[in-house]
Amino acid sequence: MNKSALVFRLAIVVIFAASAVGFLSTLIFYRITYLNELALSKTKLTQLHSTISPTASIATYLEEQEMVTEVVNGLLTNDIVKGVDLVSPSLKITSPLYEKTKDTLEFKIFSPFEPDRVVGTLSITPNLVEITKRANKISFDNVFIIGIQTAIVTLIIIIVAYVVVTRPIIQIADRLHHITPGTKKRVRIPVNHKHSELGSLVVDINLLLDKTAEQIKQERNLRDEVERLSRHFRTLFEQSTSPIILTEPKGNILLYNEAFLHLLKKLDIPFKRSYGPYLRELFIDQALVDDCVEMAFANDEIASGEFQLINNNQEIIWVQCIITASITDAYNEHHQITLHDISKRKQQLEQLDKTANTDKLTQLLNRRGGEQKINALIQSKTPFALLLLDLNKFKPINDIHGHETGDAILIHVASQLTKGMRRRDILSRWGGDEFIIVLPNIPATELKDIADKIIALIEAPLFIPQLDSSLSVTASIGATLFPDDQTSLKALLECADQAMYWSKEKQRTNPQKCFSLYHDWLAMRREQS
Amino acid sequence: MTRCYYRSILLCLAFALWQHAVSAKEAIVVVVNSANPIEQMTRSEVIDLFMGKYVAFPDGEKAVPVDLDGEQPIKQQFYHQLVGRSLASINAYWSRLRFTGRVKPSIQKNTEQQVVQYITNNNDAIGYIPISKLTKQLKVVYQLNE
Repeated sequence: MNKSALVFRLAIVVIFAASAVGFLSTLIFYRITYLNELALSKTKLTQLHSTISPTASIATYLEEQEMVTEVVNGLLTNDIVKGVDLVSPSLKITSPLYEKTKDTLEFKIFSPFEPDRVVGTLSITPNLVEITKRANKISFDNVFIIGIQTAIVTLIIIIVAYVVVTRPIIQIADRLHHITPGTKKRVRIPVNHKHSELGSLVVDINLLLDKTAEQIKQERNLRDEVERLSRHFRTLFEQSTSPIILTEPKGNILLYNEAFLHLLKKLDIPFKRSYGPYLRELFIDQALVDDCVEMAFANDEIASGEFQLINNNQEIIWVQCIITASITDAYNEHHQITLHDISKRKQQLEQLDKTANTDKLTQLLNRRGGEQKINALIQSKTPFALLLLDLNKFKPINDIHGHETGDAILIHVASQLTKGMRRRDILSRWGGDEFIIVLPNIPATELKDIADKIIALIEAPLFIPQLDSSLSVTASIGATLFPDDQTSLKALLECADQAMYWSKEKQRTNPQKCFSLYHDWLAMRREQS
Repeated sequence: MTRCYYRSILLCLAFALWQHAVSAKEAIVVVVNSANPIEQMTRSEVIDLFMGKYVAFPDGEKAVPVDLDGEQPIKQQFYHQLVGRSLASINAYWSRLRFTGRVKPSIQKNTEQQVVQYITNNNDAIGYIPISKLTKQLKVVYQLNE
């Protein structure tokens, strides 16, 4: 039998309690019985004394030994008398077992003729052994009855407790034990317990089971949902072509995907635990990245920008970088960094830009491209000289020898001009047979020589296979200075145009004078007027 | 008429008896021979002698108590005044002691006069008499009170 079973425990407690109460009551009962018996024995002894009093009185008065002995022996025949002692002035009769104790009763013996004359003393010691024996017997009977009573009551309590309380509880416990939370099984209410506490306990248990089942179902759904989502997110994360990296604010990498490893491989950079905050060590312009991130985070915004990555290979890699700061549930700050490779687009854009700004025929900057560059110089207030070069008698070449020859001449001029230019100079085909040459940071005094050199380069003859002969073109140049003459491109162009036409005018008389400065033209005009 | 006569006779007799009782209520004294050295006795000493406790005077001399026989009024009065008991009670006392060897006073006299005579002739005798019967040869050692 299970030692912790309810019935067993209850039985132990009831038996123990009953035994304890029985034992205590027996002790008390024994004591009371004993005292009662003692008192009773004293009463009996007093009665005994009354009975023998006249005889004892005469015997003692006369001090008649035989009579006194008779009295003493008479008293000793009572089983409640242990010892007797009778003393008179000249006689003392003591029974063998007599001893004076606190229970000993003493009676004065008076003369039979003089009620106030004491003639002796009678001492009777009660037989405590006998009294104890009697008390014991009474107590034993009592214990026996209490024992039987206890046993019966215990048995009844145990049976009732088992039938009314324990068995239903065991049934409930047993059923509950076999119920898996989340299933539809429920505990049945024990018979005759529909309205008892056990009944409401079962109802509550079932309610709890219902609630648990509902919660388990919800949790299961939620878990499924979370699993599905996380699977999707994992797929998204792992299969993303864009590198996604999660770092601590100091830069320790917590999480990264395959794409990031691919990128590192592409950049020929070994994988490290940290590349500094928001991977800044990977960028070329780290200060720019820092500014961008600082500004965005200060405004609680997502930092984003396009930056070039350091690459140990030749390829130029540009990425759009998105950096998000997030706080986790555990109050840790994390940075999520997403990199989109935009190199190709960047390249395409650059290519497009280049195409848009380039003259298809000569591969020089076209007018649009030239304007952009010159405006940039104006904006940065870099002093420069702007030369407008116009080919002389080009239209007739086109008309006589055809467009192809004209184109060949233009290509030839462009390549010749390119030869004479420094890296920082801007060379642009402005349209038709017009070219613009911009020379930054050049002294005005050197312009004449440069112009002569340019003219010489242009005038180099070009062999045309179709004509089976060589052609040579001349050109007129007008120059103006920024910021000395004008400060806007439009005005500068007008100035250069003016100077160029003055050159053409002068060339009619002197073919050598093919270069003029706007400044000189202005001076000439002032002289004339 | 005759009934009335008898009644008067009965009344006369009762009166005579009452008269007799009054005369018997005379004080009783315990006496010894005047030659006896004892002078005074206590009530207890008298009781001890007459109830058989001792057979000697307090001074150790032999004592012979003299009693009256029968149930004479003076005897009744003596025991009544001495120990407060009737003669029947006294007789019961003695019969209880029959087997112990103790006996009531062996000298029993018929009349008070004989008692006086016996004590006068015996030095160790002791007895009781009405005070009126006192003679010069006798010595009062104890007087009983009402």
